[in-house]
Amino acid sequence: MIRRRDYLLLTTQKLALRKKRAVFAIISVALGVIVVVTANSLLEGVRDVAVKTIWTEEIDPDLIRVYAGENPYELLPPEEGPKQKAKKRIEYLSEAVFDEIRGWPGVEAADRPVVVQPVSVNGFDKRPRGVSEFQGVPEPMLLRYIADRALVTANSNAIPLVVGERNVRLRFDEERGKLESDPGGEKAWLGREVMILLGDNYARITRFQYDYNKREFKPLSEDEVVSQHDTMERNFRVQYDTVVFNTTLTLKGRIVGFCPGNKVLIPLETAELCEKWINQRNRLASRNPARETSEVIYGERGRRTPKTGEYTEGAVLVKKGANIEAIAKRIEEMGFSVVTRARMFEDQARAFDSSMRIVKKVAFAFGGLILGLACGLVWSTTSKTVSDSRTDIGLFRALGATKREIRRLFLGEAMLQGVLGTVVGMVLGWGLALAISHWVIGFARRSIYEPEEALLIPNSIFSMNLRFCLLLIGGAALVSLLAGLLPANRAANVDPVKALKRE
Amino acid sequence: MIHLENISVEYRLKSERVQALRNLNLHVREGSFEAIMGPSGSGKTTLIQLIAGLLTPTAGEVIVSGENLSRLGDEKISSFRNRTIGFVFQFFNLPNYYTAVDNAALPLVFAGVDERTRRLRARTLLAEFGLQDRLDHKPDQLSGGEAQRVAIARALINNPKIILADEPTGNLDRDTGGHVMELLQKINRERGVTVLMVTHDEKAAGFAQRIIRIEKGELV
Repeated sequence: MIRRRDYLLLTTQKLALRKKRAVFAIISVALGVIVVVTANSLLEGVRDVAVKTIWTEEIDPDLIRVYAGENPYELLPPEEGPKQKAKKRIEYLSEAVFDEIRGWPGVEAADRPVVVQPVSVNGFDKRPRGVSEFQGVPEPMLLRYIADRALVTANSNAIPLVVGERNVRLRFDEERGKLESDPGGEKAWLGREVMILLGDNYARITRFQYDYNKREFKPLSEDEVVSQHDTMERNFRVQYDTVVFNTTLTLKGRIVGFCPGNKVLIPLETAELCEKWINQRNRLASRNPARETSEVIYGERGRRTPKTGEYTEGAVLVKKGANIEAIAKRIEEMGFSVVTRARMFEDQARAFDSSMRIVKKVAFAFGGLILGLACGLVWSTTSKTVSDSRTDIGLFRALGATKREIRRLFLGEAMLQGVLGTVVGMVLGWGLALAISHWVIGFARRSIYEPEEALLIPNSIFSMNLRFCLLLIGGAALVSLLAGLLPANRAANVDPVKALKRE
Repeated sequence: MIHLENISVEYRLKSERVQALRNLNLHVREGSFEAIMGPSGSGKTTLIQLIAGLLTPTAGEVIVSGENLSRLGDEKISSFRNRTIGFVFQFFNLPNYYTAVDNAALPLVFAGVDERTRRLRARTLLAEFGLQDRLDHKPDQLSGGEAQRVAIARALINNPKIILADEPTGNLDRDTGGHVMELLQKINRERGVTVLMVTHDEKAAGFAQRIIRIEKGELV
């Protein structure tokens, strides 16, 4: 009975006799494995990163986004009911709906979201400015997602979010059609004005610069900061009221929620004032009041134009410890669509997984194709070894080797090629995946505009799945065993008498 | 030691039936040195292959060292060959990728002996045959006589009871052949190993205690 160590020795000796062929087969196996391992390492990594960082900031964990319900008949394909009238009409969110939800246990607030625009007092006669110039994430929210607290603190001067109120005395000049600041005046417009600013303007001064190579923030010199301050003030003087610009606001408004897309959720009272304020501004700006529609016309699919006081979306804030999913389900039962962080996460993860599966399938199919060809090469190499070793096989049989031992010897040779190729391919695949990950991360870091975005970019998208690697080695061993089965059987059945015969 | 009873071996060559051995009976004593002689195609090598269990007779029984070879399966017959039989071939059959030591130790690999013991035994045996300076040489670096001595060492390494030699001097010059025959005779005498040798060479046959002549598959 041949010892295990001797099996390995005899196998490697045989393989060494056909170096070129064996190396070719091993490289082929390795190529297939490289494709599979690289795809797996990166796709898993991308998924991990996406799941851990990107999606989780889309919606707060205690917030339910509510949308006007969808009519199930809307989703029917035309052939199943092209002229069918909608049985259920689409209803929009209204104050009555919000009132009902507010009364439920576990609900802290239920409001419609308000788009808040930073404006100056002098800017009432103009169209509202877009807020895209203010792109920031509040520090507490950032801290919720980012573990590196020191980095956030270092950079926090650039990202505050301020929602505030102050009393401002204004006077509306009928002749000029313009609101003006009137600090000493007796008449105050609306009695109280809500002032909402996104950010302390000076806070937008960059005090730190991100070093992409060292992956750290470096403080700017005092001169550079002063220069930025002057430039900013100069620019703002052109656009904003200097009183507002230079005033430090007292924080009074409570942030109910924050959503990407420049939407800030604020309490209803504030929102109403804010909306009034914005409406007034818009009216003054356009001198063309919005038309009111009293007609209620449902379309074939059950949709109608929302009336005044009806909204397509809303937000529900859930109390700490309340069952958010149960509340979401209740809102759904009212006929509205809901999105929670868990649902959004699940939906997006599902969608992402589905895309990943397709990419993975393509990569694996490609890798499998190469591996299939490689198996053909393993088979061919082992077959050639058997043909070339007939005399040796005969000799081994004459010296006491059993058929089974001869079979195992050649199966071992095939398996060795498969496993060696897999291990080589795995190492090279990891190397390639690491290089790609490094390149992608570097590219992403170079492409960002806001320093805080760098915090969301991980150091690597490379991941190593040990179970997958073990499965791959096992699979390669099995497939190469199958590839070697036929030649190994042929070797076992070599007639020693004929093999040792020399004419 | 070796009993062949009513042995017949038949095989097909294309569409023709060839009778290699016909109703052959042979008894070989333990410790004897016997030569089998006969013209080409007379069945000498077939006889040896039968005794080694490499060939199964069409009829009759082959009993070697108390084992009826016809009744043994592949595992047992391989083990029997490994333990009981040593082969010496005309063309040496030494794989060129092994050194003299590795070649001599080869049967021990199939016996499951560890490498250290294998090498030690092979070195001792090769040194005994005067090959102490050729231990790490590959077969193509050895002379014909040296290669055949390595082959004899390989045949002896497992202390077999029988050595089957198929034309051991067939590929050697007269003098070297003589030395090889002396070595086989010495092994037979000193170790008590039964030697059964196929040869065309009358001089080589002269070393044997008995000459078995075979013609057209029958003992003459």
